[in-house]
Amino acid sequence: MKYKSSLLAQACLCAILATAAQAETPALTGVQHIELAVSQADAAKKWYQTHLPCEAVAQRPQRLNCGGMRIEFVARQSLGGSQGTAINHIGFAYPDVAQKMQSLENVGVGGAGVRLQRFEDGSLYRNDPGVGLHGFIFDPWGTRIELVQSGDTPTFHHIHLHTADPSMLKAWYMDNLGATATDQGIMLAGVEFHISINAEGRPAGTTERAIDHIALAASDIENLSAHLQAQGVAVYGPDVPDNARGGAKRALIAGPDGARLAIVEAEWDGFEAQQDEQIARVEQREPFAVPYTPWGEPDIQGMWTGNAAHGIPLERPADIDGDTLTADQAAERREQGTLRSIWGYEREWRDTTLGYDKFSASQQVAMIIDPPDGRLPPLTEAGRKALEDEALRRQTRLTAAGPEELSTWVRCITRGLPGMMMPGVYNNGLQIQQSPGYVAVQKEMIHETRVIPTTPRQRSGIKQWLGSSRGRWDGDTLIIEVTDFNGKYLYRGAGPDLKLTERYRLVDADTLEYTFTLDDPTIWTQPWTGMFHFKRDEAQYELVEYACHEGNYGMRNILSAARAKDQQAASETSGD
Amino acid sequence: MNQPKHFGIAVMLSLMLVSACATTSSDSQPTIPRAWDGHPDLNGIWQTLSTANWNLEPHPSYGGLPAIGALGATPPGLGAVIGGEIPYQPWARQQQQQNFSNRFTEDTEAKCYLPGIPRANYMPYPFQILQGTGKIMMVYGFAEANRTIHMDKAQPEPAPIDSWMGRSHGYWDGDTLVVEAHGFNGEAWLDRAGNFSSYALTVEERFTPVDANTMRYEATLTDSEVYTRPWSISLLLHRNTEPNAELLEYKCVEYSEELLYGHLRRGAGEN
Repeated sequence: MKYKSSLLAQACLCAILATAAQAETPALTGVQHIELAVSQADAAKKWYQTHLPCEAVAQRPQRLNCGGMRIEFVARQSLGGSQGTAINHIGFAYPDVAQKMQSLENVGVGGAGVRLQRFEDGSLYRNDPGVGLHGFIFDPWGTRIELVQSGDTPTFHHIHLHTADPSMLKAWYMDNLGATATDQGIMLAGVEFHISINAEGRPAGTTERAIDHIALAASDIENLSAHLQAQGVAVYGPDVPDNARGGAKRALIAGPDGARLAIVEAEWDGFEAQQDEQIARVEQREPFAVPYTPWGEPDIQGMWTGNAAHGIPLERPADIDGDTLTADQAAERREQGTLRSIWGYEREWRDTTLGYDKFSASQQVAMIIDPPDGRLPPLTEAGRKALEDEALRRQTRLTAAGPEELSTWVRCITRGLPGMMMPGVYNNGLQIQQSPGYVAVQKEMIHETRVIPTTPRQRSGIKQWLGSSRGRWDGDTLIIEVTDFNGKYLYRGAGPDLKLTERYRLVDADTLEYTFTLDDPTIWTQPWTGMFHFKRDEAQYELVEYACHEGNYGMRNILSAARAKDQQAASETSGD
Repeated sequence: MNQPKHFGIAVMLSLMLVSACATTSSDSQPTIPRAWDGHPDLNGIWQTLSTANWNLEPHPSYGGLPAIGALGATPPGLGAVIGGEIPYQPWARQQQQQNFSNRFTEDTEAKCYLPGIPRANYMPYPFQILQGTGKIMMVYGFAEANRTIHMDKAQPEPAPIDSWMGRSHGYWDGDTLVVEAHGFNGEAWLDRAGNFSSYALTVEERFTPVDANTMRYEATLTDSEVYTRPWSISLLLHRNTEPNAELLEYKCVEYSEELLYGHLRRGAGEN
């Protein structure tokens, strides 16, 4: 409640200056724009144009006009979605919310799809007193959006603020910016701001979140800034920021509850298109010497993660010629991979808990290093058939008769090999522990541990999910050969006849090169090899217990949904 | 002899470093293998011969599911609880008895859930110890369970979240590996007889070599939600000295699926 005391101080001041100050409060001429942080500005603009009443603005590639509201898209990673922050969401009016929500549901969540936020009762939209018919969605970059039934044509509707103390918040905007009270909140600069109490107490600040700030246009920015400062409000500026287009001024304001506001001159025209600011880091390294354990084996122990490598495709994409991506391309690719694979998780969860921010995304173009074209070798006839069979199996999964028809990952049994080593969107930790003559490789996802002897050992011949691993040190490289897979998990069709050869090598103190060669002549016409790096993350990372099977609600839900589909199908065929 | 060549130095070092070191080697004590740092070498595959996993308390034999005959019966055992009986609060003893009645469907082992600590150490499955530098890893032959014992932390750290296996910090007390474990979710049963603890459980474990291939495992369980006082178990663990001993994969999820999801199988509700 920081602003409570400043309000009190301000109240005393105002008692003296009241009339003069109120009269001289420089006018706001409107909400100039809303700034959204999106990792891919082009994809975001396309999304808003496809799903909301937004139109392109000539010559301004980062801007859209969304039903009367200007939205600026800034291409950068945000620190999280808008939900939970002081600027919780923005609202659009639609004449028929039910129809709109249904059409959005049909879009699906895959790729840059639409994420629906259902009400507690499972409904997509509902009628609430004082609000009318409404529903919520998220854009793929974390901005929460409300659709409200109103009017005859789709248009921008409102900005929704959250606060621990609505009456204080209202007072702040009324006293400092000349807002007027409404039933739902305030009217500020001609735009409806709805205000709700934040159930979790003080909301999070908005800086660098998906909705970064709201910019208010002022007729006299110098005067308004001075006025706000006199009221005890922190104001940064006004000035013409670097890279701003044109000469208009802007000031940033620390609003109540951590809501970032800007005041801008009416001519404010945003920023020049962002340049690639990534500076190639020239790293001067001492020649690296691999450390050894006290008992004389190369020491690759530690806490590693595949976070940097997440997003690297197995095969080289047809449209990329170069040897590496730029840092921006790499960041964008990882973000895309994240969005494709795991829609339901919040940005906060992915980016902070999992430490993605810690390592920039790998700029490697593809994992496959042999064949040199970065593409998988041609399949055998049996290989093609195996892939077709797998595709068929996938089709039946939504109506699975029992757990065994679902993937071994969904069943929490295994991601197989080399699947379990591959970087994914979460729980990428890899812990390596050594003892004389043994290396344990433990992967966080599902929690699977392989204990691998590094001295000569005969194979038992017993077939297992992860086969039988036999290791040896070849200089400083750990080579593990894996055979005797039970064939119940197939990697791109390969299993019973697969011979996997893995190589683990420190290329510097914090980088573990992982190379994998798959040789299965029944599936591929020649062996092929992939490579990616694990990065050391001793300081931050600890494997979290991934009690996958213990918490497998997904399995129950999938099977009970499949039974519901059975019933539905049965009642349809019975002809009523 | 097959002793590591630095054995003498290591003992001297441990004499110098470990104050009040009561376990200096003498002629009457059996030789125990030593690791590179002079501490006992616990590397290898271990397993208990006790029946603790069936019932920690002393018990005669009793029958199981009639459908599988003697396979499901419980072998008799002297128990592992020091003093014989777990000091349950009255409600908790009732709960344990109810658990016992439902043990074939409710035991977390039947569901292939992570076994927790201390149970993982006395299940009738092998586990492998990897004693490295800074950490000791225990990889269990049941349900892909594992634990990392942090030997390299100045102070025990809070568990990031409650979990089945908890968080473990260890140190050497002479030749005894002492492990303090906390941060449990309280879900794992202690045995097949329905003995249990809660999220408030903390466990102090002591692994003490008694000869080259045997160590005593002691665990003191403190849980004011469930017991009237701390209590301890004690049992022996044996190193598997078969030349080809190997920790094989036991992914038991498959074998629990009918128990857990059978009612959701197509056709399950018919007949």
